[in-house]
Amino acid sequence: MSQNTATADKPKTSLKAKVQKFGTFLSGMIMPNIAAIIAWGLVTALFLNPGGWFPSPTFIKLSAPMLSYLLPLLIGYTGGKMVDDERGGIVGGIATIGAVVGSSVPMFLGAMIMGPLGGWCMKKIDDMFQAKIKSGFEMIYNNFSAGILGMLLAMLAQVVVGPFVDAGTNFMASGVDWIISIHALPLANLFIEPAKILFLNNAIGNGILVPLGIQTASKVGKSVLFLLESNPGPGIGVLLAFCFFGKGSAKSSAPGAAIIQFFGGIHEIYFPYIMMKPSLFLAVMAGGVSGTFTFQLLDAGLKAAASPGSIIAVLLMTPKGSYVGVIAGVLVAAIVSFLISAFILKRDKSDPDADDFAGQQAAVQEMKAESKGQTNTASTSTLDYKDVQKVIFACDAGMGSSAMGASLLRDKFKKAGLENVPVTNMAVRNLKDEPGLLVVTQKELSERAQQKAPHAIDVSVDNFMNSPRYDEIVANLKVASQEKIDDGVQPTTQAVNATPASDVAEINFDLVAEIDFIHHDQHTGSATMATSLLKEQLAKAGKKTTVKRVSIDDVADETDRLVISTPETIKNLKSRYTNVQALAVADLQDKKLSEVVKNVK
Amino acid sequence: MDLQENMILLNQSVPNKTAAIRLAGKLLVDAGCVEPEYVDAMIARDQDVSTYMGNFIAIPHGTDEGKKHIKKTGISVVQIPMGVDFSEDAATDNTVTVVFGIAGLNNEHLDILSQIALYCSNIDNVAKLADAQSPKEIIDLLKEVEN
Repeated sequence: MSQNTATADKPKTSLKAKVQKFGTFLSGMIMPNIAAIIAWGLVTALFLNPGGWFPSPTFIKLSAPMLSYLLPLLIGYTGGKMVDDERGGIVGGIATIGAVVGSSVPMFLGAMIMGPLGGWCMKKIDDMFQAKIKSGFEMIYNNFSAGILGMLLAMLAQVVVGPFVDAGTNFMASGVDWIISIHALPLANLFIEPAKILFLNNAIGNGILVPLGIQTASKVGKSVLFLLESNPGPGIGVLLAFCFFGKGSAKSSAPGAAIIQFFGGIHEIYFPYIMMKPSLFLAVMAGGVSGTFTFQLLDAGLKAAASPGSIIAVLLMTPKGSYVGVIAGVLVAAIVSFLISAFILKRDKSDPDADDFAGQQAAVQEMKAESKGQTNTASTSTLDYKDVQKVIFACDAGMGSSAMGASLLRDKFKKAGLENVPVTNMAVRNLKDEPGLLVVTQKELSERAQQKAPHAIDVSVDNFMNSPRYDEIVANLKVASQEKIDDGVQPTTQAVNATPASDVAEINFDLVAEIDFIHHDQHTGSATMATSLLKEQLAKAGKKTTVKRVSIDDVADETDRLVISTPETIKNLKSRYTNVQALAVADLQDKKLSEVVKNVK
Repeated sequence: MDLQENMILLNQSVPNKTAAIRLAGKLLVDAGCVEPEYVDAMIARDQDVSTYMGNFIAIPHGTDEGKKHIKKTGISVVQIPMGVDFSEDAATDNTVTVVFGIAGLNNEHLDILSQIALYCSNIDNVAKLADAQSPKEIIDLLKEVEN
């Protein structure tokens, strides 16, 4: 099962896996925002005026904007971010405000549509244009493309989503209306429970049931209509079932959610659990129906609307004489819902739930990676390079070194005809584990990068400027794309402008004990570099000859000195010294230098 | 953005890499690109992960944390003909002759940084920078690379 999602492009994905994946996706939008839902719920439960535990006209002002704006925007942002990272999140958020403004009900459903849609559109647009942006204009492109797209989507949402949701709400409402009119009240829960999960609960509760309930209550002192939507029984049943039979983080978070739902009256908190496993709709519907049936049977009702739908609020609104009926109805709903949920959760035992699902997926991929050998470059076969879709240079702040490395590799890619592989740079903390990723880091950051993107090919370099790894990457990618490596890929260090090597032959290397690079005013930096380079090359070749940087005035006129400098300096030198051996080189990459390395002791 | 002549310091001699980074940082401070705190962030970043790039150049810049001290984008150049070692330990020799101090906001610096990278990927070009006799020469040398 988990493999099905791991390779999403496999044609044979079962319907069940698809539904489950969709459920995981939906709950992925809600779960990170549970904290915000709790914040809103607590504010409402505590300060509702009147009806809260500590009624406060000041703090309750927080409640409505949080519900109407904050929560949908957060959900829209999260949904967009799941599709296309931060940019997707931003666009998702902007698009969501259109749905919020376009409708009078809290737009959770709209957010869950517009958020991912925004992310998806952003991704598509970036895919189309990002590679074509001239360097230096990235920021302008990034901001304006996201801004304009967000604006258009928000406008679209405002015009389209509002009427769409209103129609859905009206449909649900007329269903409930009709059921009440035919006196088949318990069946109303068949509409109410799904509507609740889609966050239409307030529209149904406050829009239909409460007004009708008030009419009834004003005549007979109580109404069962107040109980239909606020009955905490069905929800607590599902959450308790998760407490006992759930798996992973769904199980461990369920007890807390149960307390918040049952005593805090925040029904929204159990909605994600149902979205994770949509067959649980049956459980809440059955729980709701049997609860309402019990209420009717025992002639239970409430004096006024219980809001929020906490057991405490419900009991506070229960008229004397109705306690047994109300409590029985809640209990029956809870038990029925619990039993059905438990059955569904247990029956699906072989079927890992959303969290384990993701976990297992990761585990399988990890095992795969392990069986392939380490993720290290040394052992990365060209096979893996077939999957590489993009290269990211990661460094600490994403400001300097990674940007330089990225430009160099981009240039090499261009020369090698690998333009279809984008090369970008970012801070290592922003890395995301995504398929087809090759990450280049400095050695020190390699571990952090691997933590962030365990499945990416990780290439670590000592030296961003001329790492041999770059040419390896280019070569591997070329092999992977089964094209001939053309000469353009050759490292620059081999593009040598050679001078005839004949004068090297004149040097008696047996005598040479020290190599001096001459520095003077005009050529100090290059002499420093040449000294350092030659030292390194000699050390690599296991040679013992000393290398020094000396001023032209300090050259010891001995035959065991080999003095190296530019042709002009050597000419000048020969007129002043007679014994030293001298060699003129054109530049640091002159082939004569490697001849020297080969020949000295 | 372009390199400015007043952001280029030639023929410097420094005892260690921290001093080199401070010089590059001071140019950024004096030009109003960063607050003095940014220089400490540059040193911190180099201690965390070396800003030695190879080919005798280093590009000290601040940490992620230090970004808040950047007022505007700027790049400074410090030429150190006698070289300074940017390595952590005595065994390795990461001699640097040209130090580029970087303060980047909104990726405005990426163009010039990319130019520097392409130019300096040829070590002989770095030698030219290390031997340059005037700020203008450095600017002109870096202009040789056009995308």
